[in-house]
Amino acid sequence: MVQLLCRSKFQRGMGHEEKEKKPRFFINDNTDILMEILKRLDGRSLGVAACVCRLWRSVTWNDSLWEHLCFRHISPPPPGVRPVVVALGGYRRLYMMCLRPVLSRLGQKKRGLGGSGGGGDSDLVGRVWTRDSVQLSLSLFCVDYYERLDGRLGDASTSSLMFLCKPVNV
Amino acid sequence: MGPYDSAVSTGSTTSSPSSAAKPSEIDGLLAGAGYKVRSTELHQVAQRLERLETVMVNAPSEISQLASDVLHCNPSDIASWVDSMLVEFNPPVSIPSDLSDFSDLTYIDSVVSPAINQTVCNNSWVEHHTPQQQQQELTHQLTVVTAMEEDSGIRLVHMMMTCAESVQRGDLPLAGSLIEEMQALLTRVNTGCGIGKVARYFIDALSRRVFTPQALCPTGWSNENEILYHHFYEACPYLKFAHFTANQAILEAFDGHDCVHVVDFNLMHGLQWPALIQALALRPGGPPLLRLTGIGPPSPDGRDSLREIGLRLAELARSVNVRFAFRGVAASRLEDVKPWMLQVSPKEAVAINSIMQLHRLLGSGPTRVSAIETVLGWIRSLNPKIVTVVEQEANHNQSEFLDRFTEALYYYSTMFDSLEACSLQPEKAVAEIYIQREICNVLCCEGSARVERHEPLAKWRNRLGAAGFRPLNLGSNAFKQASMLLTLFSAEGYCVEEHEGCLTLGWHSRPLIAASAWQPIQDPVINHNNLL
Repeated sequence: MVQLLCRSKFQRGMGHEEKEKKPRFFINDNTDILMEILKRLDGRSLGVAACVCRLWRSVTWNDSLWEHLCFRHISPPPPGVRPVVVALGGYRRLYMMCLRPVLSRLGQKKRGLGGSGGGGDSDLVGRVWTRDSVQLSLSLFCVDYYERLDGRLGDASTSSLMFLCKPVNV
Repeated sequence: MGPYDSAVSTGSTTSSPSSAAKPSEIDGLLAGAGYKVRSTELHQVAQRLERLETVMVNAPSEISQLASDVLHCNPSDIASWVDSMLVEFNPPVSIPSDLSDFSDLTYIDSVVSPAINQTVCNNSWVEHHTPQQQQQELTHQLTVVTAMEEDSGIRLVHMMMTCAESVQRGDLPLAGSLIEEMQALLTRVNTGCGIGKVARYFIDALSRRVFTPQALCPTGWSNENEILYHHFYEACPYLKFAHFTANQAILEAFDGHDCVHVVDFNLMHGLQWPALIQALALRPGGPPLLRLTGIGPPSPDGRDSLREIGLRLAELARSVNVRFAFRGVAASRLEDVKPWMLQVSPKEAVAINSIMQLHRLLGSGPTRVSAIETVLGWIRSLNPKIVTVVEQEANHNQSEFLDRFTEALYYYSTMFDSLEACSLQPEKAVAEIYIQREICNVLCCEGSARVERHEPLAKWRNRLGAAGFRPLNLGSNAFKQASMLLTLFSAEGYCVEEHEGCLTLGWHSRPLIAASAWQPIQDPVINHNNLL
């Protein structure tokens, strides 16, 4: 999907002749539709989308997208969470620092136990993405915020989330 | 035949009889079996025994002759006996192919020239070989070396136990010489991991006890200890498990209360409380008014470190809209704290949180009233909703040194084992220093200086039960959270277990830390007693 949108922008830049005949649709003019599309993507695709151009980056950096990603599989989301998460650094940071490594670690363990590859990534996410794992991620996120509050606590490198972020490839 | 001090029994330069050798030089274990071997020569003897075994396996036809003709001149002198066996096995003229390993042996020459024999035998592995034979030799040598390393580890353990026993007996000279031997042996063992690393710390502790008993033990509470504690928190899950489990229990106990007060017996950097503040912020019905009283040592440099931690926690609480108040109580020992300092108000729900602090109160001098009973008494008088107690699951408070040493060796080797899985540097190295301080306190200090008096959960159950507390079940939520926390750690060996409502975290089925929750038994009489 992302590649299709990228290509349509590229084609416009190249000045194709066919588009004279059809009504023009340029995704960058309709950022609300872009948002709707991005809402359905997974974390990695959002990261890729953020690298397309400056407009896309600003749209993708919108925290409500990441909020939707964090609580997509849990309905309803726990009440009152948003002000807390926003105060502690925002949903995008929550996802990148805590939720994604927690889920991938839990998924690895489950995959290891289950043996087979399973039914793809979304199936896995549905199995491990529970209210409990989100709660745990929130707690770890809070400890991380606390440690960042004052650099004098130890030093910048000590973070209780370091044990989650092993070989780094964001 | 005298003691083994040269390759053959002839031409020995030091002709001291066996009885003149110092007892510590003769290996104690083999001495028990009736063989006299100097400890320093042990590896050579083992090498020769290996070769003898190979030869015996390869030349069965010779063995029958051996069985009938062998003359055990002096079986107590095992080294020279082995040499005589090897001489028997080496035909002087033609060397069969399966004895090619021993083509380097020039024992026959040794009769002629005893002076050079020593060096020849010592370097016998690499002389007079074709490349093919050398390869064989090398792999053989490597196998022997690895076997020697394992044996060195086992030897170290035995020597440490012997040393500890001599310390208990009061035989300090023997202990001292054993320590020197062990330090020499340590240079040949890999002290970066495994038994070598544990041995290094324990031998260090033993040498402190034997050689410098007057040196001050590193005390429990000091500011650099906070940094060590923080790195220990990062490197392994024990403290995280403690914090998260206690927080879950406190959260459940505070359900329905609007004014809550938590008393932390050891604030350190306050790492436990952000998660509780966040959980209270998100609880259905909104957050209560949270008061936190943190107890800690006074800072030596005049900084009010307790207040600084309180300010940071207050800032966090403000960001998530939790009404928060902090109070710091500076005391160098927990027993110096009086309940009026905590300013508990009667209408609030109180939680007492003790992470590895209660065991410090168990040391009692002859003139002091039992500190633990005093503290448990005033805890009870505060009528808390919950008392969370986390303690090391070990028996390090025995009066006999050897028992304490043995128990500490098992406990801390398991802990070091679990630490191997951590890959974060420098957290891992600093965490080891933290553990080393504990070890030194357990082994080197006595009386009031020894504060690390760990006791197992069963004893705490009895003690708290006798003081008027009943246990609270930690619940399945705490268990689930602890299990989930552990799956995040890549090491596979951690295990959470539940025993009668208490949770323990261990490494490969050896519990290392135990968390439990308590509540004072309601007694109509107690309600009339006010705070002291």
